[in-house]
Formats: sequence, C-alpha cells, structure tokens
Amino acid sequence: MGVLTAALGTVPLWGSDYLVLFFFLFCLYLTVAQMWNLLAGYSGLISLGQQVFLGIGGYSVAVMGNYYGLNVLLSILAGGFFSVLLALFMSLFIFRMKGVYFSIGTWIFAEILMIWFSNWSFVKYGTGLFIKTNPPLSTNETFYIAFVLGVGSVALVYFIMRSRLGLGLMAMRDNEDVSETMGVQVFRYKLYCFLIAAFITGMAAGVFYIFQVFVQPYKAFSIDWTVKLVFIVIIGGIGTIEGPIVGALILVFLSQVLADYFSVSLLILGAIAIAVILLAPKGIMGTLQAKLGFEILSPRRK
Amino acid sequence: MPDILVVKSLEKYFGHLLVVSQLSFEVRQGEILGVLGPNGAGKTTMFNLITGTLKADGGSIIFNGVDITRESPARRCRQGIGRTYQIPRPFENMTVYENLLVGAVHGAGMREKHAAPFAMEVLELIRLLPEKDKLAGGLCLLDRKRLELGRALATQPRLLLIDEVAGGLTENEVEMLLKVVKEIQHRGVSIVWIEHILMMLSEGVDRLLVLDGGRRLQCGDPRHVMNSQDVMECYLGSEED
Repeated sequence: MGVLTAALGTVPLWGSDYLVLFFFLFCLYLTVAQMWNLLAGYSGLISLGQQVFLGIGGYSVAVMGNYYGLNVLLSILAGGFFSVLLALFMSLFIFRMKGVYFSIGTWIFAEILMIWFSNWSFVKYGTGLFIKTNPPLSTNETFYIAFVLGVGSVALVYFIMRSRLGLGLMAMRDNEDVSETMGVQVFRYKLYCFLIAAFITGMAAGVFYIFQVFVQPYKAFSIDWTVKLVFIVIIGGIGTIEGPIVGALILVFLSQVLADYFSVSLLILGAIAIAVILLAPKGIMGTLQAKLGFEILSPRRK
Repeated sequence: MPDILVVKSLEKYFGHLLVVSQLSFEVRQGEILGVLGPNGAGKTTMFNLITGTLKADGGSIIFNGVDITRESPARRCRQGIGRTYQIPRPFENMTVYENLLVGAVHGAGMREKHAAPFAMEVLELIRLLPEKDKLAGGLCLLDRKRLELGRALATQPRLLLIDEVAGGLTENEVEMLLKVVKEIQHRGVSIVWIEHILMMLSEGVDRLLVLDGGRRLQCGDPRHVMNSQDVMECYLGSEED
C-alpha cells in the first residue's frame, strides 16, 4: 500500500502529462466516491444528490477567486465549508425521510440548486463562470492537491472505521434497528457522516473545477456525477475501503479509453456494471475479500 | 428498593388493531418474570415497546424511577435495558468479538480499550471463545443464540428482556443456555423472559405474567397463575366448547 501511494505521489516526476492528468482524475473520483461509500456503504444513506456539493464546491472557487480574490487553497476550503452549511440545512428536511425518500430528497435539492444557479445573475445564469485562481496553479500543483485529498479520504475513512464511530457504523450497515437497540446513536452518526462527506466532496469539487477552468450549473449539479459514483462504488465493492480505489481506477481508465466513442461509452459502462452485479454482487474487492479472507485496509478488531 | 420497571396502562395500535391494551405490571429488582401467552398475544410487541423500537400510543414506562416512554432505543439501552431477539439477529458481517464490542462500547459506554477485556470475559461466559474471530453470519443456531445473550450482556443491562431463548434447540443445548441465564441473574440483573410454558414451570421463575389478546390475564405466583380459571381456558379452551 505504501509503495503504491509513493508511486502515485511521484507521478509528476516520472510520468507523462497524460499520466498526471489520468491520476489527477483518479484521485478526485476516488475522494468523492469514498465519501459516497461512507454514506451508502456504512451509514445506509443512499444519496442521489451528492452533485449538490460538487456544484457548491465548484462555484465556491469561482466566486471566491474571481469576485473576492481569495487565495486558492482557502477558496477550496470555503467550498467544503459552504457544503457543510448546506448539508446542515438539508438535514433539517431530508433526515425526516427514510430509505428511498431520502434518496429522492437529496436529488430534489440538487435540482433546486441547478435551477436556482441557472437563474441567478450573481453567478451569470446558465452561462457559468470561468475560474481564475489566485495565484494561478500549475498542473503539477493541482495534481498534488488532488493527491492529498485522495490519500486523505482513504485515510480518513480508515481511521473512522477504527474508531468508536466506525464500530457503530459497521453495526448500522449490518442491521440498523438492532444496532440502535444495542445503544448505537444512529441518527447522530448518520448526520456526522453526511456532514463529513459534504465537506470533503465540496473541497474535491473545487479542485476538479479549477482543472476544468469553467463551472456551469447544468454540468455541476447534474445527476451524472452521482451515477459515476454509484458505478465506482458498486463495481469496486460497497462497504469496503479498497472498493472505491479499484472502482475509480476502472472508471477513469474506461472513460479515457472510450472518450472517442462517447455515444456508446455509457452503454459499455452500463453493461460492465450489470455484469459485475450479476457475477460478483459484492463488487470486485468485496468478492475478493470474501473468497480470500484477506483485507489490505482492514478495520477488523482482534 | 423500588421496582426496576413499572409499566402503566400501556397501549399500542397497529392501524386500527389494538395489540396491547391497558397493560400494567412491574418487574421487581433481581427477579425473573416469566411471560406466557398464545401466539399473537402481544409478547414481542411488549418487548419492542419497552426497548423503544416501537413508540407507545398510550401509557407510560418507568425504568429505575425514570420515565423513559419518549426516550430513543439507544438511550434506553444506555440506561440499562438489554434484549435478545427470538430469531437471532447478529451483525452478520462482523466477527463474534466485534458483535460484543458494539454492545460494550455503545451500549455500556465503555472505551474500546476497556471494552476489550470485558468482551473476552463475556466470550468466556457464553462459551464462544473458540469462535471469537468468526463472522457472526456463519454461526450455527446454538452459537447465534449464545451470541444473542452475550451481546445483550455486553451492554451491561440492569434489566434483560429475553425473547424465547430455547426455541429450535435440543434439550442439551437448552440446558447450556439456561446455565448462562442463571449466571446472568446471579450478577444481579433483573430478567423478563418470554418462553414456552413447560420451561417456565421447570425453571422456577419468580412470577408469571400471562397475556392474551394484548391484555394482562394474570400476574403473580406461577402455581397460582397456572391453576387460575382464565389461564386454563386460554390454553385448554373452556368446558362449554
């Protein structure tokens, strides 16, 4: 694991520009998918509205950088901060909903913000905003921010799982009602996870849109984001720490390979998702763990 | 000492169906209260109301002198109410040891460092030490039932609700579990115990509560209760039938 992390961290030293771009995207998808995994895989919160935090993160760096000339790292942090505020506000409503209603509730928030931002003069309506960072970042610098987020998100989930919170989350994953009768404060733990995921997702979004240079509501608040996250987590193995790593690698690889065949690329991604669900319902890492009884980042207590 | 649990005119509807009706009883400190009743009498529903999994539509539940009728299930567990399920419901993707840790850390509020030796102690008591690192989902029925008792015990309850520990097991296996229950009682835990009728008589519960149609039929000394007219009718049918 350490060797892989070191290899990833030194890509700009030995890799081509194309490889740097490839692993930049890998790190960001990994970060955001790891957060979705924390929600869907452990807390039982199937959010179909994670794009709301991607949009907020993207617009935060644009507005903070362009309008207020805020330092780029602080702008990224602000994206996380605004996402947490929004998540707190959302939780007043959606935490009264259960199961599929929660999923739809989160999605509705994303749609509301998409409509709002596309009708808001402050952010130039549907045209969107160019992003000028202060100071301007090189590709390598952007890569390193993404690298820190990617490695950080894996480490964060690992440490959560080793903690008291993680013990409760694993119990909730297996059986929510019973865990509550065993003293696990289900509601509070779900809220913690929702806020943590919003914070990290918002920051990752800022980095992504700095690289894109342009943020626009119909893309930023699009459900396409969450579809990709579901793909990564399901393929890799839901409720495992390693799953999103493998899933993100596959998604970024496939979207690069299939970039020239955009119209069929979604068909192929869909076919792969169906095949994995049928052949290995626990995802690639989940199935490997069940078969080999071996976990690299194991949160197990001995 | 005051009664550990006092239930006053408890009521619960499922839709329009009244499943628990004006139910009142108390559990004394350190006793075993047996609960009997035909299928659908409301025994398990009563447990769900006491643990908070279901919200009562009327009446109150006083635990250790504190009204807990509106408390969340997690808080009730922390205050000292533990339970087992009739069909064991372990955390299947966690090991036996981790299952106990959940009870000790979250239910009893221990730090994980202190919970570890305690969990080992419980493992020994329920005789599951060799299965410590096995996934709970792969256990046989007897071991699942043991784990069910162990996990409840790990929450350090003052009142333990046991829902049919003996069902589906052989006589020898039941013997084994009964020993564990006895040990739990010796630790000063009060017990409410839903179980099959013959077991109750042989295992010497302190008092018996008989439910029928969500109502309290009788409550008191086991011999007296079993010989009463309405309990006989409930189980054997009345003479006119």
